[in-house]
Amino acid sequence: MAATRAAPHAREIFTSLEYGPVPESHTCALAWLDTQDWCLGHYVNGKWLKPEHRDSVPCQDPTTGETLASCLQAQAEDVATAVEAARTAFKSWSAQPGVARGRHLTRLAKVIQKHQRLLWTLESLVTGRVVREVRDGDVQLAQQLLHYHAIQASTQEEALAGWEPMGVIGLILPPTFSFLEMMWRICPALAVGSTVVALVPPASPTPLLLAQLAGELGSFPGILNVISGPASLGPVLASQPAIQKVAFCGALEGGLRLLIQESVWDEVMRRLQERMGRLRSGRGLDGAVDMGTRGAAACDLAQRFVHEAQSQGAQVFQAGDVPPERPFYPPTLVFNLPPASPCAQAEVPWPVVVASPFRTAKEALAVANGTPRGGSASVWSERLGQALELGYGLRMGTVWINAHGLRDPSVPTGGCKESGCSWHGGPDGLYEYLRPSGTPTQVSCLSKNMNYDTFGLTVPSTLPAGPEIGPSPAPPYGLFVGGRFQAPGARSSRPIQDSSGNLHGYVAEGGAKDIRGAVEAAHQAAPGWAGQSPGARAGLLWALAAALERRKSTLASRLERQGVELKAAEAEVELSARRLRAWGARAQAQGHTLQVSGLRGPVLRLREPLGVLAVVCPDEWPLLAFVSLLAPALACGNTVVMVPSAACPLLALEVCQDIATLFPAGLANVVTGDQDHLTRCLALHQDVQALWYFGSAQGSQFVEWASAGNLKPVWVSRGCPRAWDQEAEGAGPELGLRAARTKALWLPMGD
Amino acid sequence: MSARSRGTELDLSWISKIQVNQPAVLRRAEQIQARRTVKKEWQAAWLLKAVTFIDLTTLSGDDTPSNIQRLCYKAKYPIREDLLKALNMHDKDITTAAVCVYPARVCDAVKALKAAGCSIPVASVATGFPAGQTHLKTRLEEIRLAVEDGATEIDVVINRSLVLTGQWEGSDFIKTSTGKETVNATFPVAIVMLRAIRDFFWKTGNKVGFKPAGGIRSAKDSLAWLSLVKEELGDEWLKPELFRIGASTLLSDIERQIYHHVTGRYAAYHDLPMS
Repeated sequence: MAATRAAPHAREIFTSLEYGPVPESHTCALAWLDTQDWCLGHYVNGKWLKPEHRDSVPCQDPTTGETLASCLQAQAEDVATAVEAARTAFKSWSAQPGVARGRHLTRLAKVIQKHQRLLWTLESLVTGRVVREVRDGDVQLAQQLLHYHAIQASTQEEALAGWEPMGVIGLILPPTFSFLEMMWRICPALAVGSTVVALVPPASPTPLLLAQLAGELGSFPGILNVISGPASLGPVLASQPAIQKVAFCGALEGGLRLLIQESVWDEVMRRLQERMGRLRSGRGLDGAVDMGTRGAAACDLAQRFVHEAQSQGAQVFQAGDVPPERPFYPPTLVFNLPPASPCAQAEVPWPVVVASPFRTAKEALAVANGTPRGGSASVWSERLGQALELGYGLRMGTVWINAHGLRDPSVPTGGCKESGCSWHGGPDGLYEYLRPSGTPTQVSCLSKNMNYDTFGLTVPSTLPAGPEIGPSPAPPYGLFVGGRFQAPGARSSRPIQDSSGNLHGYVAEGGAKDIRGAVEAAHQAAPGWAGQSPGARAGLLWALAAALERRKSTLASRLERQGVELKAAEAEVELSARRLRAWGARAQAQGHTLQVSGLRGPVLRLREPLGVLAVVCPDEWPLLAFVSLLAPALACGNTVVMVPSAACPLLALEVCQDIATLFPAGLANVVTGDQDHLTRCLALHQDVQALWYFGSAQGSQFVEWASAGNLKPVWVSRGCPRAWDQEAEGAGPELGLRAARTKALWLPMGD
Repeated sequence: MSARSRGTELDLSWISKIQVNQPAVLRRAEQIQARRTVKKEWQAAWLLKAVTFIDLTTLSGDDTPSNIQRLCYKAKYPIREDLLKALNMHDKDITTAAVCVYPARVCDAVKALKAAGCSIPVASVATGFPAGQTHLKTRLEEIRLAVEDGATEIDVVINRSLVLTGQWEGSDFIKTSTGKETVNATFPVAIVMLRAIRDFFWKTGNKVGFKPAGGIRSAKDSLAWLSLVKEELGDEWLKPELFRIGASTLLSDIERQIYHHVTGRYAAYHDLPMS
């Protein structure tokens, strides 16, 4: 018999039946760090970039505090090098047929598969996350993402005809993130032909490893470049002229709020506490723990939150098998928190759950929707009808029914409200990195001397401008708000001139209060309109189309006074009516069902209204552009506040006379006045859910800046005119994409 | 076996209210198997513990006194003495929880165990095992005879036609299956049963035992079953009075794993005594 290797204390374990350590060896992660001489640089253009004279920060094991490697911090010139590499790579990468790009992504997936142990041990080692989660979850999903997007790339020419890759994408990642968050973003970008420069926070080796794996595939080295540096480099990356889009993701909090119906409160709390008591925390590289650590900072954050909650009157339950020393924090349940206390509103840190009771489902929905966040939620109920009602009602990007945390490459994941409006995965994720073919490339035209404080702040005063002359009858006057023409709050008007410089008519001078009133009216109409069936929406749009045709001669003569030839004017009216009909028909074909692997049951991809959509119309095509923007917005179930063409708002007001008789009050509101001023009011309005702006480059810049306040989706033209009479630009799929948001509703089934 | 459960008024509304979220149960079953592994001396200790939960079973048509005798000897000495010594566990009196045989073999088993000088209980399957499709009268008589022969535990096959029509019976232990079905003990089913046991305990204070049977062949499986019970019911259920594993070949795999743990080598077939 061979030498004995007996354990000293099997006797004790036999009695206590404790769990023991299941250490996952991380020697391969250390060996990889050794190949870099324990000093990580950046990975650019298929090579390691280790410039001299750079600051470095240590990459530490969050559990032990031990330094694993030092990481060089990028400077502006390194960013420029990376962007240049990506720009060069874009030329050949985007010119490849989709099939070739798909093949390349598949090769990357295979390389990840071959080196998965290195990937998961490295990720767990440096982030402190549970290795099993990384191994069985993230690494597998990363490969699935690549395979899914490889397929999308292969069919790009047919499935995504009319779209082209944007170019170089800048990706900014937050301090606490899983490399998977990067994969969700780079896979669709690379698939459609864009190239990526990712700025990762200091001491994140896994993205660098991924870039190395991708780079070592040989061909197309510059498609994925990773630089590591401080958050202050974000603006540097964003302002690189070659960058066409910046994608970023915020820090992940990861705490949860739990709403429990009063009738089952005691039962649920008991079960929850029972289960929490069995959770095990420990070093991420231990194969038998449920929770790792997210480092000392996360630990402090949780501690502070729990102390504050306690001081505000909450009760706290902590349990689980947790190492006593920092940076481990036990799973914590906070309850009986007074609803109005600050902690009840604050974001919940990991690993804390705040539980509160509710009486009716309606109340729960109001509470759940009453936060600025809109990422994901799960509904647990055995009553299918009620669960679906809640699932549809929740203003979230993802809703799981009787499940939680499922993800799949084919299901779009995103959010609404302050959780951001970008999408990853599924068809929606692809469009994030595409633009309609022929759209001018975005030149970085941010004006440095833009004064955000004064843009559109005041309205130049207007005076009477001579007699109203001309053949057409007096145009309608007033702001069209809440279903009727109203006098503006400022009680003043602005003159509109025709093409020969004569006075065409006066329109009301709208202001901040009028915008407020219009947004309010739109909100009142929103639930009713969103609840209408697509068929009913289509019916109204068709009725408006018919009304437009009846009004053809008036509309055409007003267009004529703006210098349009009669034939062209009549054609514009006809095309406008056609647009309304087309969008009416499209209203009936929204959303679809997805089938994902590993789950029985469907995932519904719902297309939901954004809410109140504000639209600032372009000067050109005063009728056609107005209608082309109004139609998709309404077809998708939004209510709108529109600022019509500044040059000739009279056409829109003519249409409003029909809207007044056909549409429910508040569905479409039209506010005339100074365009910059009204744009300012709309952009700074926190309860406008989305804003489309077709105007100057300066106005576009302001809209983007101001809308960052609530992260509402914006669509701006940057002063570039659109061919509204062309199908692609005037009625293309881009409008439909932007007029609604996606929700993924997961419906696992089982007997 | 524990003191008989005191029983409670049968309240069928408990059963009709039960909802099972199947996808969630499947996920939980996967999780427990993946998240609760034990290694090294923990594994050895857990495996030895698992031995003490085994109802060492032979339910073959060709069982005879000789193989019953061998089974009983194995129940008394489940792990080679030198391996136990190496683990310093030789004085823990590690035996299986019971031997489990057909009613007609109870006599042989009792005799063999007495000869080996140990008090391992004899369990007998009864009541028309495995289908249970015999008359109530013969079923009761079968139990009576087995008890007369010295069986102290009876695995009763309940009348499933009654269950399927909602007429339930009570018990001290619930068993996943007879072990003779095509699908036997699975984790998802076990989770549902363990939750039922927990609910019953919360409602009445009575502890009902749990016995998975059928298809548990590997040492690794047995560890997963232990952690499943530990996670769902807690350590208080991890004793032979409340937890048994019905198995015939499991023990030899456990012994092989212990051999490997102690020696660092994989055992040849002839290195370990057969059961």
